[in-house]
Amino acid sequence: MENYDVIVVGAGPGGSIAARESAKKGLKTIFFERGRKPGEKNSSGCGLGPRMWRDFDFMTELTPEDCPSLRPGAAARNYLVNNDGEVSGYLMTKPTDSVTYEPARSWITMNCYRSEFDPWLAKYATDAGAVLKTSTLVTGLLKENGKVSGVIDEKGNKYSGLVIGADGAISMVARESGLRQRWEQEQVTIVPQYDFECPPSKIDDVMGDEALAVWWSATFPAAYQVFFNDGFHIGLGNWMTWWEKNPMHYLNQVVALKYFQRQIRILEAKPREFQVHLLPWQGQPHDTHADNVILIGDAGGFPCPLEAEGIYPAMVTARAAIETAVEAISAADVSKEFLNLYDAKWRATSVGEEFKTGPELASIWKALPFSPLKTMSWFVPMLMEIIGGIFDWSEPHAVRVRQIARRVKQYLPNAIPFIMREVIPLLTAILGEENMNLLTDPEKLIAAMPELEEAIARSFVENDMEEK
Amino acid sequence: MSLKIDHKKLIMRIPGTGNFITLDNEKCTLCGRCLIICVMNLWKKSDDRVHLVDDYASHCLECGACYQVCESGAIDFRYPAGGTGIVYAKG
Repeated sequence: MENYDVIVVGAGPGGSIAARESAKKGLKTIFFERGRKPGEKNSSGCGLGPRMWRDFDFMTELTPEDCPSLRPGAAARNYLVNNDGEVSGYLMTKPTDSVTYEPARSWITMNCYRSEFDPWLAKYATDAGAVLKTSTLVTGLLKENGKVSGVIDEKGNKYSGLVIGADGAISMVARESGLRQRWEQEQVTIVPQYDFECPPSKIDDVMGDEALAVWWSATFPAAYQVFFNDGFHIGLGNWMTWWEKNPMHYLNQVVALKYFQRQIRILEAKPREFQVHLLPWQGQPHDTHADNVILIGDAGGFPCPLEAEGIYPAMVTARAAIETAVEAISAADVSKEFLNLYDAKWRATSVGEEFKTGPELASIWKALPFSPLKTMSWFVPMLMEIIGGIFDWSEPHAVRVRQIARRVKQYLPNAIPFIMREVIPLLTAILGEENMNLLTDPEKLIAAMPELEEAIARSFVENDMEEK
Repeated sequence: MSLKIDHKKLIMRIPGTGNFITLDNEKCTLCGRCLIICVMNLWKKSDDRVHLVDDYASHCLECGACYQVCESGAIDFRYPAGGTGIVYAKG
């Protein structure tokens, strides 16, 4: 038996930050990685957000020498794929004037491969004095009188200490501690992705300062594309039981888009690697700790409820977990009751702030990009009418405006319930009920909608002749 | 010319020994979720019986999706031995 204060299962970003913070507090710390090195088992979109630089001071030391794949980008592109499986338009966006944090005005994400980033991060933990054991699978939890006292590895070696579960979506620590056998099917997604290689100069010339793209679609769940120095990821995800066909069917649909094929040719891109992983994606983390056990990052279900960013929440919850561990160890009380402190601590972070509107954020995502047939099939053409309909020389522009308005009206029976069920609750959660009532009373709006629809219908009815 | 990708060829792995996925046919309800979800198509159904292909350990990407969707608890999944299995160089 080896005795430690803190045992961290997993050496991803969460595990490494936990190990680092723990060692820095003077706690005897060990962390485990089942791969030959950290980052070897991970697949990820891997866009690092500017707030990581604000919240973790060592991030400023990250250079292209450490991570050759590093590529910052300021812009995001949103492709809109219609019901015929064609790109019917796209919108490129950059940080807006309301962004207050300066670095975030220059770049929205710093992208790099996990195989480079995770080892770089783990070194901060080992430099702080934590012991890293690689190529070692932790297979179970040690128990004394029914309570978790440590872990056991595949060779039968035993380690005692407080256990931090940083072992991802399918967490052994969660299973063995009785916190969770598996997720509910709508709390986790499966995400297959391709990595393409292409010349850095091509990415710079063709994509400019674009960091990422989202392919919003009526025929597949929203796909994401992330650009690295010499390649890019294209992937998509959806809840486990929301796939009518194999996930590959939909990912290959993205790749087969004429527009995407053209991009591949221009970028001289070649498929390099295929990856898949499970990604927890839920409105509210729960069952985050047990006696002598704390779950962080993906293992605890902490990816962002809106877009499932996982690295930053893993690092933030790691820090909250170690602050909790320090207090628990010094009080000689690692009971579940004492560790309730962990929930209070992560809720006080920016991750906790994100989850204040978690259920509403997760719900709108579920209803929109993850419901291609139900929602995107009217959302994409409606949006394209509005942003794309004016530049057209088929009729006088006033006639076009009326044609567009009539067409948009057809989408209202879909759009209005969506706004009522998804957008209003989200705004209410963000602004607070009192402020929301000042802005608009949902009940009054619902009551007024039939009249509004009727008014729109009447105002255009006399021009129906314009429809050919 | 449209580019078709054979994703099964785009993986790198370190061979290992030992089983890490098991199926208990007694518990299997033939719901078919594992057949839909596995991106490597490692689950098959024949004669009203689900089975895992023999050489699954040389193709599995260790995502755990089959375990996650199997609510009857027929599928158990553990990671393969440390230092073996899938390697993502560009993950």
